[in-house]
Order: sequence, then structure tokens, then C-alpha cells
Amino acid sequence: MATVQVSEAEKVYILHGVRDDLRVDGRGCEDYRHMDIETDVVSNTDGSAKVSLGYSDVLVGVKAEVGKPRPALPDQGYLEFFVDCSANATPEFEGRGGEELGLELSNTLYKVFSNKQSVDLHSLCISPGEHCWVLYVDVLLLQCDGNLFDAISIAIKAALFNTRIPKVHLSEDEEGGKEIELSDDPYDCVRLNVENVPCIVTLCKIGHRHVVDATLQEKACSVASLLIATTHRGTVTCVRKFGGGSLDPESIFEMIETGKRVGKALHTPLMELLKEEESLGKKRQKVGFLG
Amino acid sequence: MLKSKTFVKKTRSGGILKVVREHYLRDDIWCGSEVCGECRDESPVLQRDACMESSLCPSPHYLIPDTNVILHQIDILEDPLIKNVIFLQTVLQEVRHRSAPVYKRIRDAIHNADKHFYTFTNEHHRETFIEREPGESANDRNDRAIRVAARWYGQHLSRAAGGGELQVVLLTDDQDNKEKAEKNGILVYKCEEYVKSLIANPELVDRLALTSDQNEINSGKVLFLEHLPLSKIQAGIKSGIYLQGTFHASRDNYLEATVFVHGEAAERKEVLIQGLQSLNRALHQDVVAVELLSRECWVSPSEVVLQDDGGKDEDTGEEEVEDKNKSAEASILKPTGRVVGIIKRNWRPYCGLLSQSNIKEATRHLFTPDDRRIPRIRIETRQASNLVGHKIMVVIDGWPKNSRYPNGHFVKNLGDVGGKDTETEVILLEHDVPHLPFSQAVLSFLPKMPWGITEEDVKNRMDLRHLCVCSVDPPGCTDIDDALHFRELENKNFEVGVHIADVSHFIRPGNALDQEAANRGTTVYLCGKRIDMVPELLSSNLCSLRSDVERFAFSCIWEMNYSAEIIKTHFTKSVIKSKASLTYAEAQLRIDDTSLNDDITQSLRGLNRLAKILKAKRVEKGALSLSSPEVRFHMDSETHDPVDLHTKELMETNSMVEEFMLLANISVARKIYEEFSECALLRKHPSPPPSNYDILIKAAKSKGLLIHTDTAKALADSLNLAEIEGFPYFNTLLRILATRCMMQAVYFCSGMDSDFHHYGLASPIYTHFTSPIRRYSDIIVHRLLAVAIGADSTYPDLMDKHKQATLCNNLNYRHKMAQYAQRASVAFNTQLFFKSKGILNEDGFILFVRKNAIIILIPKYGLEGTVFFESKDKPSPHIAFSDEGPTLTVEGHTFFMFDKVKVTVALDASNIQHQKIRMALIEPHITVTNYNPHNILTSGSDLGMRAKKKKKKKKKSHKY
Repeated sequence: MATVQVSEAEKVYILHGVRDDLRVDGRGCEDYRHMDIETDVVSNTDGSAKVSLGYSDVLVGVKAEVGKPRPALPDQGYLEFFVDCSANATPEFEGRGGEELGLELSNTLYKVFSNKQSVDLHSLCISPGEHCWVLYVDVLLLQCDGNLFDAISIAIKAALFNTRIPKVHLSEDEEGGKEIELSDDPYDCVRLNVENVPCIVTLCKIGHRHVVDATLQEKACSVASLLIATTHRGTVTCVRKFGGGSLDPESIFEMIETGKRVGKALHTPLMELLKEEESLGKKRQKVGFLG
Repeated sequence: MLKSKTFVKKTRSGGILKVVREHYLRDDIWCGSEVCGECRDESPVLQRDACMESSLCPSPHYLIPDTNVILHQIDILEDPLIKNVIFLQTVLQEVRHRSAPVYKRIRDAIHNADKHFYTFTNEHHRETFIEREPGESANDRNDRAIRVAARWYGQHLSRAAGGGELQVVLLTDDQDNKEKAEKNGILVYKCEEYVKSLIANPELVDRLALTSDQNEINSGKVLFLEHLPLSKIQAGIKSGIYLQGTFHASRDNYLEATVFVHGEAAERKEVLIQGLQSLNRALHQDVVAVELLSRECWVSPSEVVLQDDGGKDEDTGEEEVEDKNKSAEASILKPTGRVVGIIKRNWRPYCGLLSQSNIKEATRHLFTPDDRRIPRIRIETRQASNLVGHKIMVVIDGWPKNSRYPNGHFVKNLGDVGGKDTETEVILLEHDVPHLPFSQAVLSFLPKMPWGITEEDVKNRMDLRHLCVCSVDPPGCTDIDDALHFRELENKNFEVGVHIADVSHFIRPGNALDQEAANRGTTVYLCGKRIDMVPELLSSNLCSLRSDVERFAFSCIWEMNYSAEIIKTHFTKSVIKSKASLTYAEAQLRIDDTSLNDDITQSLRGLNRLAKILKAKRVEKGALSLSSPEVRFHMDSETHDPVDLHTKELMETNSMVEEFMLLANISVARKIYEEFSECALLRKHPSPPPSNYDILIKAAKSKGLLIHTDTAKALADSLNLAEIEGFPYFNTLLRILATRCMMQAVYFCSGMDSDFHHYGLASPIYTHFTSPIRRYSDIIVHRLLAVAIGADSTYPDLMDKHKQATLCNNLNYRHKMAQYAQRASVAFNTQLFFKSKGILNEDGFILFVRKNAIIILIPKYGLEGTVFFESKDKPSPHIAFSDEGPTLTVEGHTFFMFDKVKVTVALDASNIQHQKIRMALIEPHITVTNYNPHNILTSGSDLGMRAKKKKKKKKKSHKY
């Protein structure tokens, strides 16, 4: 991942700041940077969202396609993740440079989101064992400025909120052959319940404390970070540790508690924002990529 | 301004796809009115004083019809009275989606500058574009788009200087739409009330089609079972409960029909349908779903002739007739079924006569179509008294389940019944021959006159202007598509060239001209009239290889040795200058006149010599020479009435031209098949199944002769040997019979078939190359050949075997129809001829013997007629039919095939719609019948539709 070089003096400065709950850009330890969210930015997807967090910029598109359910879970649909690290984000991604990161990210996202606690996968089933909706979630990294997971998770939640799956119903003929029929009204569609979709809060251990939404400089000062996915109720759905350093159980516990608290605080305004945006309907001035 | 249009669709593989299209809105779409100063339209279409006098709307106004008005009332819109109509893009798109023929008609009308029809692309206009709202159906959205556009027009025009008077009238038959429009302040009328308000032409009202709600207001009694919905039918067909097939009504019995079930050859079968209830409102040629009845309900086809004569307009029960034939033997019972639903209607406009209602001042009348397979149609008209005795055209609007007859509306008055022009028009309409004048769109693709050959053209072509090329055709031919040349080479071999008009140079693939020609398929020759496939400028001028003018040609040049063996074949596009256009007779005279020794005559003699060798070779291989009595009318130059009639004569020169055309066709067929084995357009003539020859063998046997039919060669040989002393016409009669045993030759695409053999010509491969002016198949062959020799570029459709196969189907259909139309025209002229001649006594021969009748051919007129020995209302004479022979014994006299008889021939005009040539026997004399020959010895040479029945192959002497 994109890294910056930080001198020893800078590190000490950051470290001391964090100890006093005062970060380089003026935030407290549990504060996020400024965040912009816009949904419905890519018209040929079924749902999309663009999130910029600081200078991190991610675009998420959701495409719904009809597929066959997994044999083990015949009455559920599923989600597929793909993360594309655009060379726009950082020159390191050029060629196949971003592939490894992309894979790591998408595996993590799969763990976090594709389970029936997060998304109601039963609602994606069309006919058990035969047809279900497969949601392809494509993440495009446009710019990396630290804390990608949080940005991506928010963008995914927003995109899923924005997703409209065409309504279909099954018609059965006398021989039992089933056929999918499509409603001819483009407004006639199903929406997902995104209430339980978790958000990821990544906590970076800096010194004895941990910070939310670390910048690249802060990241360079940290030896280990913990990814915590929480729902709006504060239920932790996934925890993962990154980085070479070690964390003592005490601080892991503390970090999880912080993650839950921050996560809960993140969900409520996010949902309000998304609903407010939707209520604007067609009158909304689209910003898109040039804004 | 950019908007996007989004919709979801299902792909063929079952996936679901979201499609997003960019949709651009503009503000430079003009309103098209002369009044408007705001729009900078250079040549506005809509007139300033749009004057259609209507009592509802006295001021000038423009009309905006909605989709259903166009779909149902296209006949009205096509009337010259209706002008200044605005067609919204929304409406046109819907029309196109729902009915291709109506769309084509409306496009043609828009192209017609006199109509002042304007297309307004409202979907791309910034102010009239609307997006679909949530919960709004596509139809509602379109209706709203129409209202928005109509409102915009109203406001837009009222702003224009001097446009204050001008109004916009929305025509819709939808009550809901109308109310909403009224709320929006739009002037809106129902189509019916508007048309009724027109002062200038009250007759227009008759052409109003009945809309569905009017269709329902009949008497409450339900006569028919409801048709099943399409989804149920499809499910039923899938599971085998119902069968899908084409409905063929019986010509003789209106209560009977046959459904030919679609499917593979093995499961192809016929289902008999009997009784009004079971027919369930299906019409001839409809695609229907039928349900088979249980075996005990099966019946046999009745032999009774039943015509729907129920003069009373209303629904009197005719059920009693239905049960007449239930007592038939079990062995001849046929699978019987009933129609449960209609999959596809194949209605067309029908020609026929009005039977005026007995009640005076009634506006509902019955219409009797000429085609006996079509039931009578109830129409509403106020001008019935004017229409009696006229042929009229009627379109069916629907057949509600509580009505005895389908409902329709009057479209067009074709003229006096029996009139020459009227009947010709009827023949063309009934045979689905496209005969309207070419549209502006088509004509726009013609080369600009004056037209000349440029240096550029000559550079890419072989310059053959120096050669002594000449053409030989029937007299009066203006569309000369072939010419020949002949010269001796230095090595003592001969060079023979066949030059065919290069029509594909003028008709470029895909344009309107090409599409029109592809649709017409063939030029139709009627007696005294020709319906061109391509506009006259091409057919009679630029493409016609007339003498002394330079023309483009597609040449096929052979080097041949003395015994007419081909040494080398060469195809090229060329420029030629014909030295002479001769008739067959003129060419013959030149060949025979020993005093003439000019270049042309020399060439003709050389060609003639080679042609004889070619013919001998062909006959050796087993080519058949068949015969059918063909007549030619001598037309009075003033009245265009037939004054005399004689059978066509064949000369040596006919056969000379024919031989080289055959040779060219075969050479070209080989070439294009070699180059394009998957998509060559070829012509085949399948060998008939052996059972077809039964009647021929039997007939010959009765005269003690043996006909071998194992191979074409054997047949040709035995026909040549079949002579009877003192009966010179016998051989011709046999050949006529043999002709009737043949199959129809058809076009096909080489990639779709494996059997290429041409039976009649005994050639393994054959195509049509030599008449591109009058056959579309030849144009395709020209294009293929041009690509093969690198003279022209190809295009995707040419190489698509499925598209080619579809095209072949159309060409085969058009050719068949053209032939029927030709025969019908001959039959009609024969009638005219006999009308003027009165009663004649003529010699004839018995061509067929049937169970209750004999069919007689009069060679002098090539006329065929049936003499019946049974009649409905008279006691029948004693008749015995024997299948051996076959022979028929009537009151002691036995009729054999080929017997010579004497008959009186006269025109029977007692039924004005189906006039007949009536034949009655005079010799031999049948005693029982002598007291009133007219009632018993009736005949039927019923005009018009008779020709369709016979599946005879007619070989034209000058068409190869």
C-alpha cells in the first residue's frame, strides 16, 4: 500500500500528539476526516456510490445478475467482490502492481459483507436451487490517502442502499418449466435492506493509544492496526489485524470497544445522509467526478 | 442537453440486463409550420391555411393523431382530403412496433408532398421530452408525451404572428386520454366525431374502422366460444393438447375447413374442422390452435357444396345443415377438431360486392368477398345504393363472439363490376401483387436524367460496343434484358456472348429501390398490362438493351468449338451497343431469307446452328419438353378489348434464344456455387413423386401405350414415341397431362438444401441470371457473380444464408401469385371474349374424368371447363364411375379420357360476381338431360379463384 517516508522527529511529534489526543490535522483520536458521499453516479450499474475520505477516493458499483445459487446454500443469493486498484491512485499500481492489494482487499470485503448477518441473502433468491441474484460489487480505487477499508465499506453500504434490483417473478408452465419474467416498468424494483450492513473501522495503534482514520503519516508511525467491522447495533462481525507489530490482549479489547463506539456513531449519520439524498429525487444536482 | 434512458431487458440466455442509452435533447427541432416565425425551418411542411372544413372546428387546424388512430384509421389518413397532420415520433415508434405494414403505409404518406404530413421528433425536443414517472406504464407515459407535445404545439403556434387562428386538434379514441387532454386545455376529438364533422367528404365516414368497443355492441347472444389467450395456447401446444396450424377454409362449403398442422414431415397432418362453432371465427390463412375431438366425433369431409346464402342479415340458426354428413363410413373419417384460439390473423383487404340490406335506409350491409373462402363481412355504409354493382374493397376490423359475421369497414370503390380496369385491379389485389405507383423514396434512387455513360464507367468495364450484338424478343417487348452476339475466332472456334442488362449497377443493395424490388420480386404480366418490378425509367429505358444505344451489360462469353462444346467461359461487366432489336418472327425471317447476308443475319444463323446442337444434347440428357395450351389475345388498340384469341406459336428463334439463356444460367449457377457454396441463390425443380404420374400412365394405357416415368429421360423418350395415327393432338394432350404431374420449381439458398437437381431441364444445377429487369432473383445472382469476379463489393445480407432463404420464400410466393394473377387475367379476358362472341359450338377433348363430371379442353382457345352430370335440384342421371381407365358411364354412354366431344360454349352472367364460361355437351347426346340442358349440364370455369386450385406447372415459351 502507498506509504510515505516519515522522519524520526516527525514520528515523535505525531506520537506525542496522539498521546495528548491531538493529531497533526487537528482531529481527536476518534474523529474521521471530512467525508463526501454521492450515490447513483454510474448510470449503467444497478447501484453506485463514490466516497472521498480526505484524499482517499473510491468508487463502488453494484451490478445485479441472475445466476445459480451456491449448492451449499440453495436458497440464498450471494455477493462477489472485485477491487480494482487504478494506476491513477498511485503509480505503484501500474501494470499488475495493484493486483495483490486488490485481492487482499476483496477477500477481506467478502468476509465482512457476504454473510447473512450483513445482507439478507435470502431476499436475493429467485427460485431455490435454480436462480438467484448475484450482486457483483466492483470497487475502484481512484486515490489512496490512507484508511481505504473504511472508505470502501462506507461506499459499499451507500451503493447497496442505492441498488435497485429489477423485480422479477417466476411463471410456471404446466410441465413445471420455470421462466423468469420481467416487469416492464423500470421503476418496479426491489431494494436491499442495508440496515445491518456493517461499516469497517480501522484502528491504528500509535504509541499506547489508537486512532481512527489514520493518515499515511500516522500509519507510518504505527506497527499494527486492527480492522473492526460493526453493525449499527454495535455487533462486531469481523476483526482482522494488519501490520507486523504485536498487540497485547488488553489493548485489543480497548480497540474493539472503540471500534464499536465509533462504528455506531458512524452508521446513524450515514443513513440519515443517504435518505436525505434520496429524498431529493431527480432534483438533486449531480456532482459526479468533476465536482 | 443530455438525458439518459434506462430500461431493463431480458436476454435470450435468460440473463437480465440493464441498458442505458444516452438521449440528447435539442432546441433546434422546428415545428414545421409556415406560420411560425420562431423556428428557422427553411421549407416548412405544414400549410398556413390548413383548410379542412369541419363543423366541429371551423378555423384552420393541424391534426395530431395518437397511435391507435393511426393503427385503426390508416385508411382515413391516406385519403387525399386529410392534410396537415403532425406525426409525433412517439406515435410513429409505437406504430412501427405494433404493425409493420401500417408503418410502411404511413411512411409513404409522409413522403407524399401533397399531404403536408410532418414528423415532429418530440422525443428529442427539449420542451416536449418527458421521462417516465414511477408507477406509470409505458403506454401512459406515451399518452402523456403526446399530450405534452400537443399542448406545446398549441402554445407555440399561438405565439406565432398571424397564427392566432391556427389550432391543433388531438385525435384520440381513448376516453381517458381525451379527458386528461381536455383538462390540459387541448382541443381534442374522437376520430369518429371529427371525421363525421368533415363537410367536404361525408363518404369518409364509411372508411372508419370500428373500434373495439363498437365491435361489442351487437346482440347479446353469444355465438362462439371465447378464444383462449396466447399464453394458454402456447402452453397447450407445448404439452400437445393443441395443435398449431394454418387454417384453410373450403372453397365449396362455408362450414368446413382444414387445418394443416405445422411440424416435421412425419407429424404433418390435416385436421378437419366442421361447423360454425368449431370454426370459431377463424379465417382463411390464419394461424390457429386446434383441439382434436375424441375419435367418436370424427367425421368425413362432406361432398356437398354449401354457400352461405343466408340473405337475412341476422343470426338465424344454420346448424341443421351441419349434421347432414355424420353417417359416413368409418374408413374415411378424418381427424376432426375445433379451433380454440387464433395465434396470428392473416387478414388482408378483401375485394367483393356489397349485398344491400333489404331494409331501406339501413346502414349495415353484408359484403360478399370474391374469394369464396372468406365469409361475408358486415360493414356500415351510408352510400350503399352507390356501391351496388361496384367492386369494393373492405377490411375486417374484428369478429366479436356474439356476431354471426365479422365486422369490417369500407375502404375503396374499385369501379363497376365486370369493367376491365376494375377486374384487373381486383386480380392484382386478390393475388397480393404490389402494384401501387413507386413511392418518392423509391424514385429518389433512380439515376438523374439525362443519363449517359462516362469515361469512368467504361474504364472498369469491357468495351464491347464494337461487337455485333442484337436482341430477339416477343413483339411489343420494351424491357429487353438479354442480347446475343456471335463471331468466328481466328482459331476457327466461335465466340458466343450473352449480354444481360446490368440492373445491379443501378439498384444498389439496401436502398429503398432495392427493398421495393425485393418485395415485388417479379414483374407481373397481365393481358394488356404490365406491373413493373423496377420503375419504368430502368425497365424500359436505362436497363433495356435497346438497339443503337450504349448500355451497361453483364456478359457471359463462351468460346465454343464447332460441335458447341464450351472451351472457355468468361464473365465480365461490359458496355454494349446493340445493333438490332428483333422479334422472334423478324429473326426467323432473316435466317430463312437466303438473300440476306449481313453481319446480323450471319450471326443469327451461327447462333441458330449452335442452339440446335445444344438442344439436341439437352434432350439427350433427358430434358423434358412439355406443353400447356397457351393463348394470346389480340387486343383492340382502341378499347383494349380482346378481339381474337389464338394459341401462341413457337418458332425456331424462340428456342435459339432459350438455349443460350439456359446455357448462361447454368454457367453462372456453376460459377456462383463454386465461389459461394453456402449462399448461392439457385433454382431447383424437384422430381415428382412416382404417384403423381398415375393418371398419366392410366390415360396412356387406355390408348394402349406405355409411359415410362422412372427417369426424366425415359419419360421424355416415351412421350416422343406416344403417337396415335389419325389423332395428331393426342401427343400434345399427353404432354399437357404430363405437365400437370410436375412439381413447382423453386428458388433456394445453396446453404440450406442439398438437392439441387433441375428435373425439367435435366441439369444438376440451375439458377436465374438472364432477366434481372423482371426478376429479383436475377439481381441477387448478378450481385453474387459480380463479387465472384471482383467487379463489385459484397454486403453482409448477401452472405447470410438465413436472410437469403427468407428472400427466396418471398420470391417463390410472388412468382406463384404472379402466375395465378396471370391465369386469372387470361380467364377474365377469355370471358370478355366469349361475351362478345355469344354462343359457340366447339370441338374439345376430355382431359380428365371425375366422379360426377368430365373436364374438357378446347384446344382452339386453350380453354378448360367442367361438365357436371349432377345437379342440386334435378334428379340425377344414372352414373357409373370406374377407377380403372378412368371412365364414366352416363345413361349408357361411356366417356373415356381423350374422347373427342362437341360442346357449346357461352358466358353465363347469371351470378354477377362469379361469371362463368358455361359448357354443355352436344355430342355425344345424353338423353335424360336433353329437356333442360342448362340445369343439369352445368359447368364451372369460374373466374378468378379457379386458377389457384390447380397445381399445374406452366412453362412459358419465352421465359426460361
